[in-house]
Amino acid sequence: MNTDQYIDIFLDESREHLQAINDNLLELEKDPKNLSIVNDIFRSAHTLKGMSATMGFEDIAALTHKMENVLDQIRNEERSATTAIVDIIFASVEALEVVVSDISNGGDGKKDVTALVSAIEGIEKGQDAVDEQVTQDHTSNSFEFDDYQLEVISQAKGQGYLALSIMVKLRDDCILKGPRAYMVMEKLESLGEVIQTMPSVEEIEDGNFDQAFSVVFVTKVSEKDVQATIENVSEIELVSISEISNVNSVTTEEAIKIEEAPSSSSQSVPSEEKQSQKSKTIRVNLDRIDTLLNLFEEVVIDRSRLQDIANKLNNQDLVSVVENMSRVTLDMQELMLSMRMLPVEQVFNRFPRMIRGLARDLGKEITLKISGKETELDRIVIEEISDPLVHLIRNSVDHGIEIPGVREEVGKSPIGTVELRAYHSGNHVFIEIEDDGAGINREKVGRKAIEKGLLQEEQAKRMTDEEIYQFIFASGFSTADVVSDISGRGVGLDVVKNKIQSLGGSIIVQSEQGKGSKFSIELPLTLSILSALLVQVQRETYAIPLSSIVETVSLSKDDLMFVHGQSVMDFRGKVIPILSLSDIFQVPVESLGTNQNYNVVVVQKGDKLTGLLVDELIGKKEVVLKSLGNFIKDVFGISGATILGDGNVALIVDPNALIQD
Amino acid sequence: MARILVTDDALFMRMQLKDILSKLGHEVVGEAENGLDAVNKVKELQPDVITMDITMPEMDGVQAVREIKKFNSTAKVIMCSAMGQQNMVLDAIQAGASDFIVKPFSADRVQEALEKVLG
Repeated sequence: MNTDQYIDIFLDESREHLQAINDNLLELEKDPKNLSIVNDIFRSAHTLKGMSATMGFEDIAALTHKMENVLDQIRNEERSATTAIVDIIFASVEALEVVVSDISNGGDGKKDVTALVSAIEGIEKGQDAVDEQVTQDHTSNSFEFDDYQLEVISQAKGQGYLALSIMVKLRDDCILKGPRAYMVMEKLESLGEVIQTMPSVEEIEDGNFDQAFSVVFVTKVSEKDVQATIENVSEIELVSISEISNVNSVTTEEAIKIEEAPSSSSQSVPSEEKQSQKSKTIRVNLDRIDTLLNLFEEVVIDRSRLQDIANKLNNQDLVSVVENMSRVTLDMQELMLSMRMLPVEQVFNRFPRMIRGLARDLGKEITLKISGKETELDRIVIEEISDPLVHLIRNSVDHGIEIPGVREEVGKSPIGTVELRAYHSGNHVFIEIEDDGAGINREKVGRKAIEKGLLQEEQAKRMTDEEIYQFIFASGFSTADVVSDISGRGVGLDVVKNKIQSLGGSIIVQSEQGKGSKFSIELPLTLSILSALLVQVQRETYAIPLSSIVETVSLSKDDLMFVHGQSVMDFRGKVIPILSLSDIFQVPVESLGTNQNYNVVVVQKGDKLTGLLVDELIGKKEVVLKSLGNFIKDVFGISGATILGDGNVALIVDPNALIQD
Repeated sequence: MARILVTDDALFMRMQLKDILSKLGHEVVGEAENGLDAVNKVKELQPDVITMDITMPEMDGVQAVREIKKFNSTAKVIMCSAMGQQNMVLDAIQAGASDFIVKPFSADRVQEALEKVLG
């Protein structure tokens, strides 16, 4: 049977079932006696087994078969759903997800699942405590990185750090392995940052490993120095270090792992029922929607042209037809965009498990509250926002929430809370990550910023807390030494900020020491069609996105002032800098304006205002954002181009780049 | 050759350790029988290395390390632990101990620890 044509459906459904298992497992943990949940999981596993066997992916089939057996025993009340069992099923689901994403990236879907299979077999035969065994089986294997780790590694490499994979073997006669390993970890942490360990840090420091453990490590010192430092710890038999290369390619692959299935309703419904329920939806390949949108953009451009022509000809019939067409295209646009919209649920869904895992590794207790997961966002934004969110949540869990003991000491509940919220507001979507952890230490961030030369002592005193916190997003704040200094806040946060800004969004931090921190991300609903103000600069036309415009002002020559050679104006009692677009973009000057008045477009970024000096204001227009293509990337102050009604090209100004921080 | 202060509440352990150390060519400049005693002798004798038992009356070894580190942050302390004192050893290392050896001591281990500590 030729199975190629079914591969998309197979992948979509597999992802749905894996997600369903995931959700149900989390439910099951809360309510281990609930057999109907077990039933749902069983059915999902069963369906997966059938599908994968049909498609010839034997490793998936083998693993799901074993899962099914154990689940069947639970279902028939032959055993109960212990944490060990839930853990091993979680681990299996994770492995399956890796395989599925491998297949969707064109891989052959092969994966060594023997460790997991034998672990489940062990459970099946009645040994419960096998999860340690599994972790140990991993010891010799290579590392599997999650998005966050890949990001840290590739970012670290970009900044000239070495990424090393280190295996440390203790001598056979070493008795207290835990403290010994702790000493190694402590030495390593003084030289750089430990990104991942095998087994987990906790297990290493408890001595739960066979003589050897492995560490992924980024550092600025040489391989040789790292080796010497570790060897200087007693009772070390062997240290082997190798450099990790080639993470970049993996990163991109991983980054697009996001599920693209457009369906979103509750995924725990078993498949047969689901089909009848969902008979009114069809699956459409996303590429098709994208193509449709592209074609539609062309229509929007032609519509503008028609509008121009109609106005020129002044033919009433034509004008009224064009007006009607405008209305229809506007509706079409909304509809089309809504097709591309996906609920943030897709991204949020992975967090419960991530937090569960992190909390366990770190010995913390954390509840995750999610609200607004039905909030919809453009598909592109969804894809891109996932990594930054992972990063921020890790940050909150790792460095924000304190360990239970510390929390009790300061009179908080030992269980920390991380809240993840999404909601619409105007043309924007807000995503907030709030924790009730230790908060950010203003003093330390300020001091670090001064040390780094980002800030003068004097300035620091005058700045608000929020302004100070913004420094944790500065590049270079993310190095290992800072991690411990400012309670960890700062690991690669500049990457997060850059990503969000490149999506046309912004991020702010609020924090109260001892009470917690809140990261708020503001994102545009969609990226491709935007409302803009067209302006004329000499003979060139530019488009300025309406979302960043505060207002337009007519400024008489006399009101233009200079401070330290910088032109400024008085804007409602506030002195704001003025930039001339013709200077910035070096527009050839043909005629010096004889006007007594300048037109100024006041734009904002956060609470910073800047006036952009232009020659003429043309009017508001819906423009289609087209990229400048791969050859002309990263042009300062320009985010793209659009084709105007008269066929001319207008560059779209990126006010965020023009406004100085 | 290093000047060493040996700390242990059991005379037998002190004797044994002293024996090993002197055979390795080091000089035992003093003996302390509890943590408090050790802290005072460190001030008085300024040894190169201190060996420190963990469970002792008056002041335990972990606390003694903390006290010593307060006035001499570069002091080199080797903890002498028994099996099963995992957590105490961890505490001691966090407090600034340089290394640890586990009873019963072997001359090789003691030598290694001293070499690493003296670096």
